[in-house]
Amino acid sequence: MNAPLIWIGLPIALAIILSLISRPRLSARVGGILALALAALAWLVPIDDVLSIGAISIKITSVFQFLGRQLVLGASSRSILIVFYGLSGLWFLGAHAAGVSRRLVPAGMAITALLVGALAVKPFLYAALFIETAVLLSAPILIPPRQPAGRGVIRFVAYQTLAMPFILFAGWLLAGVETSPSDLILAKQSAALLGLGFAFLLAIFPLSTWMPMLAEDAPPYIFGFLQWILPTTSLIFGLGFIDRYAWLRQSDLLPQVLRMAGFLMLVTGGLWAAFEKRLERILAYTSITETGCALLALSLGADKTQIVFLLFIPRSFGLAVWTLGLSIVKDQVKSLDFAAIQGLARRYPLASGAILVAQFSASGVPLLAGFPPRYALWDALAQISPNMAFWFGLGLLGLFLSAIRSLTALVISEKLTYWQLQEDWPQRILLGIGIVVLFLLGLLPQMIYPLLNTFPLMFEHLGG
Amino acid sequence: MLILLTFFLLVLSAAAVTIIRLMQPEFRFAWLTAAIGALLAWISIFFWQLVAPLTLRLPAWKPETLFASTPTFMADGIAWAYGLALATLVLATLLTAVARAGFPQLLAWAGTFGLSAAGLLAVLANDPFTLILVWTALDFTELILQLRSLDEPQSNRQVVTAFAVHVAGTGVLMWASMVSLAGGTRMDFENVPSGAGVYMLLASGLRLGIFPLHLPFSAESGLRRGFGTSLRLVSAASSLVLLARIPAGSISSPLTPLLLALTALAALYGGWMWLTTNSDLNGRPYWLLGMGALAVASALRGNPVGSAAWGIALILAGTPLFLTSVQHSRLKKTLLAGAWGISALPFSPTASGWQSGTATGWGFWPFFIIAQSLLIAGYVRHALRPSKGSLQYQPIFVKSLYSAGIILPLLMLLLSGLWGWPGALRLGNWPASLIAVLLSGGLLWVWPRLKLPAPRVHWMRPSDPTRLNKLYQGLATLYAAIGSAVRAFSMLLEGDGGILWTLIFLIIFASILSTGGAAP
Repeated sequence: MNAPLIWIGLPIALAIILSLISRPRLSARVGGILALALAALAWLVPIDDVLSIGAISIKITSVFQFLGRQLVLGASSRSILIVFYGLSGLWFLGAHAAGVSRRLVPAGMAITALLVGALAVKPFLYAALFIETAVLLSAPILIPPRQPAGRGVIRFVAYQTLAMPFILFAGWLLAGVETSPSDLILAKQSAALLGLGFAFLLAIFPLSTWMPMLAEDAPPYIFGFLQWILPTTSLIFGLGFIDRYAWLRQSDLLPQVLRMAGFLMLVTGGLWAAFEKRLERILAYTSITETGCALLALSLGADKTQIVFLLFIPRSFGLAVWTLGLSIVKDQVKSLDFAAIQGLARRYPLASGAILVAQFSASGVPLLAGFPPRYALWDALAQISPNMAFWFGLGLLGLFLSAIRSLTALVISEKLTYWQLQEDWPQRILLGIGIVVLFLLGLLPQMIYPLLNTFPLMFEHLGG
Repeated sequence: MLILLTFFLLVLSAAAVTIIRLMQPEFRFAWLTAAIGALLAWISIFFWQLVAPLTLRLPAWKPETLFASTPTFMADGIAWAYGLALATLVLATLLTAVARAGFPQLLAWAGTFGLSAAGLLAVLANDPFTLILVWTALDFTELILQLRSLDEPQSNRQVVTAFAVHVAGTGVLMWASMVSLAGGTRMDFENVPSGAGVYMLLASGLRLGIFPLHLPFSAESGLRRGFGTSLRLVSAASSLVLLARIPAGSISSPLTPLLLALTALAALYGGWMWLTTNSDLNGRPYWLLGMGALAVASALRGNPVGSAAWGIALILAGTPLFLTSVQHSRLKKTLLAGAWGISALPFSPTASGWQSGTATGWGFWPFFIIAQSLLIAGYVRHALRPSKGSLQYQPIFVKSLYSAGIILPLLMLLLSGLWGWPGALRLGNWPASLIAVLLSGGLLWVWPRLKLPAPRVHWMRPSDPTRLNKLYQGLATLYAAIGSAVRAFSMLLEGDGGILWTLIFLIIFASILSTGGAAP
């Protein structure tokens, strides 16, 4: 038995089988359960260690050779596997309620496997190729059936693809830096290329223009799934660079660059969201600010890396709840403009509530999942400088204003409408669970601590 | 766990009443169940006195390297006084409910229990971090209850505005913590660095509608007497308790005189409107504004105990007045005990209200004294105003329960002037309070002789746009103008030339970085 085969090869094969299932509900259930089973397997079964069940002994090895490269999923990768497959499983289970199960589940399973592969491949530079393959695979599911690709999809694929040459070229230069560390010009060139590559990959302002465009073009739930899994993988990939190259880790410029990018994303995302009138575009701007927060957390140094990991799970739950609510609402109205959604909360209170709770969570309102990591980040920034705390607060204020405007649009209407629940039962259950989980994560963030605690084991120098 | 006993009793009562409403709405002993729950909760408050101060620390958030604060609750003298006021409010609401139209209103009672439970946690919060969490819980509860109880979707705008202002107040308290951290101090109620205290005060003032002057509570539900009273008073108590936690030395700031001026304005406005409105319920937002402003003024003068005195009087004097729904001549006279409660005369609960911890703001005293006299005069006027209903044909137990519900808060008001918390049994600054009482007496004498038209007060929205409204409209126009600019910029980046613009920005950022430009 081999870990990369189980958690990369097998899911790709499962994705092919899932694409053959024609019934949407079955596809969502089977896909969700299989992904959760993979997460449970990663949780229960040790890697590189003998597991004895009665007379049977099993050992899952961590290395798989592939075209002269290695795929390595050791014991330290188990938390990533649990998070990626566990959360993907939950996304797949909700896919039918969002009406996208046939499009999302097979492709989503393959994308998850490819992104796990990106984090497992050695030399790790090849991760860029895995990410690119995942991006290309995601393009077809973003395009509505029998319609041409929108400008958002094209720009998304173009910008993500542009990241690859920069990162690969930077990797080639970095090999030179490793052999001659005193060559400062080479180091600067490689850092600049690496920065550009990640700017494209993480959609750092002003390279984020595709996000609101894509949010308008794509089904919200699929957009949400990609906005969770792609930036999360890219951030872990980026952490790998910082962990591996001491000169990068110890550079005085790196925190400055990360901080500048983080604040740009947070403040511009917050500002744009505050003035936006379309729910799906607000989602995109909020997603930009989420990545901004992660970059700010990265800029704080190795002892605060845990904030980056603390952001991952609330981001996924928030996006899932938000986009599920948005998918339900989108089916009822012509557009997601504030004028079109007026008073919808009275007919779809759970879907509207899910959108709003997720929005408030992303803006750092206490008691919700987004609060603990943002509070920790704000706290850490305030200890460095009040100016940083101010800009951070300003970004969150923008998001809060957008949430209040969404709330106003959803609950106010010219017509007198009585409260009713028009969501169907599966939608009610999923939305209800989602909202409760957002509150639980906000109230008891220690629930995810056992997972968080093992994340830094993936890195040698970012132990926290 | 004794500290949470009252809380759990309130929550259990809320759950019991909700279950009865859902499973067996015709259950005959629903009121009795609710009343027993309220009574037990009220009695349990007195047990705090036996072992005070009590502290309860909840499990720490992990990783502890990132979260230095832990939710902590403490029952000290101030918390006890506020807790007693809230428990009395719940019990009085239940007792007077027997004579109110629409009896039984199970969901409204459940809402009262739930809100009071959250309010109780707010008064027990031992640090800003805990208070932030509890405030938000209260704000969400209030938002949902109000949205559910208002039938007209247009009215919801007021509810959303109130929610936004409340959460903004929470945000200001979070900012106070950040300012404190930037100065090297992790803030709790014992350690508030100079400068951060002003933000705490702003947070409370924002939630009370004092900074800037506005009426966050102007939207009302259909259940204005019982549930509406609980909603307003619990919300006010949760905000006022922060004022009692601001150490005197932490509010010294160049902004203090300006804040005192704004507070004086709010106090005068609230007092005048309270005196002149045509009914106690229409005047309720102004009662909260006026009394809240006096509490803020006390905190600004470095007298946190005095702010608690005004806060407790706001609840305990307000409760019987706003719960009075039927005509009863003796009870009307009894209500005048509430005027004693807010008089600040020696040994009254507000006796500590006019004391000062700092020498700041003597020039504003006349304005605050006038405001207090307006509030006292308004209280007496509203207490003696004829009510619509009558107890005449009600059974004896209804009469007794209703009377108990009105008298109980007044008794507690008198008790709090004598025993149980740091502001009890004080002589206070009696010359100031005497002037206020004499002024209010004069006002009450003059008032019937003046033929002043009652101001137009609408409980949903002022009929005529005031200057304040024009200011807010101006801000809204500015917001719209910035929004247009932001959207135009966004269209530029997303348009056909967007990629070129993106490249230009990239070059600009690269040049900033290469020349050593730094992040904030």
